[in-house]
Amino acid sequence: MSVVTTTNLTRRFGPITALDRLTVELPATGVIGLVGPNGSGKSTLIRILLGLIRPTSGSASVLGSAISSPAHYASRVGVLVESPAFIPGLSARTNLVSLARLRHVPLERVDAVLAQVGLVGRDREPVKRFSLGMKQRLGIAAALLSDPELLILDEPTNGLDPAGIVEIRELLRDLGREGRTVIVSSHQLSEIEAVCDHLVVIRFGELIFSGPMAEMMKRTREHIDIAAEHAADMERLEAALAAEGWAVTAVDDVLRVAAAADRAADLNRAAAAAGVTLRRLVFAQDNLEEIFLEMTGRVDGELANGRAAVDEKVA
Amino acid sequence: MFAAVRSELTRLRQPRLLVTWFGLMTLFAVMINTIMVTYVSGGSSLPPGAPGVAFPTLAELESPSGLMSGLAAASSMFGVVTLSIWAVVTAGDYGSGLIRLLVAAEPRRWRLLAGKVVALVVLTAAATTVAAVVNVLAVMPAAGAAGISTAAWGTDLVPVVAGAWVNLFLALCVWGVLGLVIATLARSAAVAIAIGIGYVLVVESIVKMLEDVPSDWLLGTTLNAVASGGTATIAYGTALALALGYVTLGLVVAGVVFVRRDVTD
Repeated sequence: MSVVTTTNLTRRFGPITALDRLTVELPATGVIGLVGPNGSGKSTLIRILLGLIRPTSGSASVLGSAISSPAHYASRVGVLVESPAFIPGLSARTNLVSLARLRHVPLERVDAVLAQVGLVGRDREPVKRFSLGMKQRLGIAAALLSDPELLILDEPTNGLDPAGIVEIRELLRDLGREGRTVIVSSHQLSEIEAVCDHLVVIRFGELIFSGPMAEMMKRTREHIDIAAEHAADMERLEAALAAEGWAVTAVDDVLRVAAAADRAADLNRAAAAAGVTLRRLVFAQDNLEEIFLEMTGRVDGELANGRAAVDEKVA
Repeated sequence: MFAAVRSELTRLRQPRLLVTWFGLMTLFAVMINTIMVTYVSGGSSLPPGAPGVAFPTLAELESPSGLMSGLAAASSMFGVVTLSIWAVVTAGDYGSGLIRLLVAAEPRRWRLLAGKVVALVVLTAAATTVAAVVNVLAVMPAAGAAGISTAAWGTDLVPVVAGAWVNLFLALCVWGVLGLVIATLARSAAVAIAIGIGYVLVVESIVKMLEDVPSDWLLGTTLNAVASGGTATIAYGTALALALGYVTLGLVVAGVVFVRRDVTD
């Protein structure tokens, strides 16, 4: 069963196409990462799913109900959209009580979610005294209030310190294990890699990838990073290896050779044959960030969209 | 809708907001009563069409209804305060981003809007009560000091006080709806307040100065008439009907815009 299904979902803002015939199915399981460069359409997709904005064309459903009737699923969905938003002069507890009343949630849930995000003891302080991290926790608490089947969290670790990030990571994992589906939109790809079971990659409003994280990580390329003992030998080493057919790329202060781990000895011998002693020889694999950049290009989507809009006007 | 009202009332329990609102009502009630009594006892009268205030004559002030005449005299000022507070509360949801959370939690947006209106009407009743109480407390010593006869002020006390309270309350609700409508359209409290105050102090004053243009239908004039229980130029019933028309039109516009418009940044 899918928690979210979209079919040719399109949304245009003037000349900018934020979502371009997006067709995707998100499984009802675990933690789903939603990633893409700035301006790729992640926030637009989330807003459409929550009924905040309407699509230009196409259709979608959430928890089996069409997005044209968000009231049918709103009580089963918890959200943290962009930055957490609360009334600064009110306490964390009062802010949550107001949302609990709106959602017809028993007030006991307020205590439960405050405990879940570690804000017990600070809950009677005005939100304006909270750090960004504490506001983020409060945002997650608000999302959990209705004990939802589906959580949609936009940048949930934004502003958290390293300990807070680890805590929220554990919380997301636990929520996924409890049988909920958690959709996490984030720029922090290391977090996505650590937490998510399923991944959706969007660029320029188009679907680039949707599938299990394991499938994505199969795209990992192996390589060996090497460095000569003397920096002056690096160019000679690169030329010698290239002449022997190795695929070599200079990356920062190392040479990155596309090769599996079992070729390390051959590589070492080739360097020695060229008269270069290696001070470093490290086997490595691409992480999600490198795969992501390979797939999406090193392009800021917002800038690219802006340029596209200008080009269109000029044309 | 009851859930939306309770939720909104919880959010309105902001000490700074309530202190500002009730504090300004208190300030204007004291100020206008002091000035009004001094002005009227000295035999002065305001020029016709003076923006924002309408003082009674000495005879009116010494009549049974004179006890509450400060409420009607300051109704435009109370109205501007109410407009501003309603606008701040409405636009604040957009400014803070809370509107995203609210609409995601309750996608039936008309319920959110209705909840906000009802909750603000409840607080407007409280603000009207503050103004009425302060008005009575301020006008007595001011009248005594100015030598104005207060002998008739105890006559028909309950109908006079209740009538003045109801009239001011109704006028303030219309002012508030105006603030909500402009804030919903502009999504900015500053813009809404500027438009509201600018309209009352500038636009209506200019229109009133144009002799060929009838001005009885203007919002400020209409609401002054409601707050005063009717005036020489506009009957109470006519003023109420016009005010109802303004409220209906405003709520329809705000409702259509709020329900149909995208919730973006």
